[in-house]
Amino acid sequence: MALRPGLILALLASPLAAQSERDRLEGRVPAAAIPTVDSLVQLATREDLPTEPLVQKALEGGAKHQPAGRIAAAAQAMLGQLRDARALLVRAGDAPPATAAEVTTIYAALKRGLPGPVVERIVAALPQEPRGSALHAVADLATHHFEPDSAATLIIDAARQGLRGERLLDVSTAVLHEVQRGHSRAEAVAVVRRQLPNVPSPPKPARASVAGARRPGTTTLAPP
Amino acid sequence: MRGNPSDTEVVARVLGGDREAFGLVIRRYETGLLRFATRMLGSRDVAADAVAEGLVRAYRHLASCRDPSRLRTWLYRIVANRCKSYLSRRGVGDVPLEEAPPVADSTDNEASLERAEQLALVAQALARLSPDKREAFVLKHVEGLSYQEMAAVTGERIPTLKMRVHRAREALLQVLEDHA
Amino acid sequence: MNSIDPRIHQALDGEIARESLPPELRRVVDRLESAAALLAAAFPPQGAGLEPRVMAAVRRPAPSGERVRRLLRWFATPQAVTFRIRPAWSLALAAAIVLLTLVPAEERGPALGEHEGIAQFVGRFPDAHSVHVAGSFNDWRTGTIPLEDRDHDGVWRATVVLPTGAYEYMFVVDGERWVPDHWADRLVEDDFGRENSIVIVRATWR
Repeated sequence: MALRPGLILALLASPLAAQSERDRLEGRVPAAAIPTVDSLVQLATREDLPTEPLVQKALEGGAKHQPAGRIAAAAQAMLGQLRDARALLVRAGDAPPATAAEVTTIYAALKRGLPGPVVERIVAALPQEPRGSALHAVADLATHHFEPDSAATLIIDAARQGLRGERLLDVSTAVLHEVQRGHSRAEAVAVVRRQLPNVPSPPKPARASVAGARRPGTTTLAPP
Repeated sequence: MRGNPSDTEVVARVLGGDREAFGLVIRRYETGLLRFATRMLGSRDVAADAVAEGLVRAYRHLASCRDPSRLRTWLYRIVANRCKSYLSRRGVGDVPLEEAPPVADSTDNEASLERAEQLALVAQALARLSPDKREAFVLKHVEGLSYQEMAAVTGERIPTLKMRVHRAREALLQVLEDHA
Repeated sequence: MNSIDPRIHQALDGEIARESLPPELRRVVDRLESAAALLAAAFPPQGAGLEPRVMAAVRRPAPSGERVRRLLRWFATPQAVTFRIRPAWSLALAAAIVLLTLVPAEERGPALGEHEGIAQFVGRFPDAHSVHVAGSFNDWRTGTIPLEDRDHDGVWRATVVLPTGAYEYMFVVDGERWVPDHWADRLVEDDFGRENSIVIVRATWR
């Protein structure tokens, strides 16, 4: 059987990728949890679901000194949630295959408590582009007791007026500012709606902050 | 400053050297902070001291307010800490009610008197709560903070805060029912 | 103290609609809300309020240590400066600026890529000996991103360059105590009984 070079590489890469995931877990996750997490990662790979969130969840559990059973259960539950996220993308009309990034984005939005139908609305309204910022913007408003469907309507309207990506976060920030100034939630939404698409952007960080910034993994700072 | 600037804009101006702009922060938040501190400490005069000290401290440390869009929560945190200091110095859990807080409607009619009596009853019940439960109830039901905002103010986890609010509600309800 | 029906708490916490309660429970909710409304009765400012008193303190010179800190902060913050120079000197100035741009970048802080931004972590831990941040941006490693409390006021800070995106994280105090960032607005369950905070890193120079 002749195999295409790309397929050969993918077949070779697969066990290598699996081994590198296992290497990340060794020594950081309780040994008893590794076989379960590893098999979940392999299952996710076969189903074309993202594997990184599963690895992160296991590493998180290990760092937080959680018992093996709890880590395995969390990873198992997450696999189910990733499947649900992909199913939502399909229901919302996204053309398959869903990328790992898209599935992870939807999973994160559902995890933040957004109802499935609201997430579907956002997905359907923003075809063929990243929805992370839009979903976080709606979730930010929902956290502050805005009705999720109304929040989604505002963000979708902002997108229709040309705002994209991170600028959609500025819309939710502007609404929350108006609430701080004493407006009711309905008034705040109305004020910002009138400003669209010219909601203010956040100030850039001071150059001094940027100059003092470190990348993770570079020299750790000496204690004062 | 023109119009109604956001907290982010005001903080940027103060940090840029316009210290008079801090007056807007005071005008914007003193009523709520004073109300909160009065309910915590039981005396409007003592509360005024705590809030004034808190606002001066906020001015001096304004650069450490990482997210000026959440200035309100940050200010409540500072004043909550001032109230805790006052209460620990006083060394008592109960709070003296040195004065009856003002009631909105000052006309001398029966409904107004009944409201005043109810308020005195509720305020007394509130004063009998432990400082933690009193703080949680006031932040939630008087100042209208969300549980997440309360967590930012108090440094406590949300489940802990919910428990305190629930216990506070139960205690207040008991008092209201006993005197019904 | 008697426990009350948990549905009353759920209604007051906004978790269920008040209308879904039976009438006797709705009455209890109303009683508690009326009590809270009484406590929330407006406090009209007495006289000029606190502003004169607070602004008097604000205008007074700060204590000496604070003055030095504020001076340093002034130097660290961008200031608008206006120059008037003769035309002939403007060429020399332009040449000096060109030369300055050739100064090695690492002396001016990290160069940020198009898809990188800054995350600023701040937490108040007055009794801590060390504070780190761990999250999905560093594989939840607990010792690699320390916060600093340079002026010993109990407020710990770190500024980190990260690729743009959303990350979950927690603070780790004294190497062992995991604490969510209570100043963060975004919280999510960590599936281990606690809550992670979420930071969204935006492209800095876009």
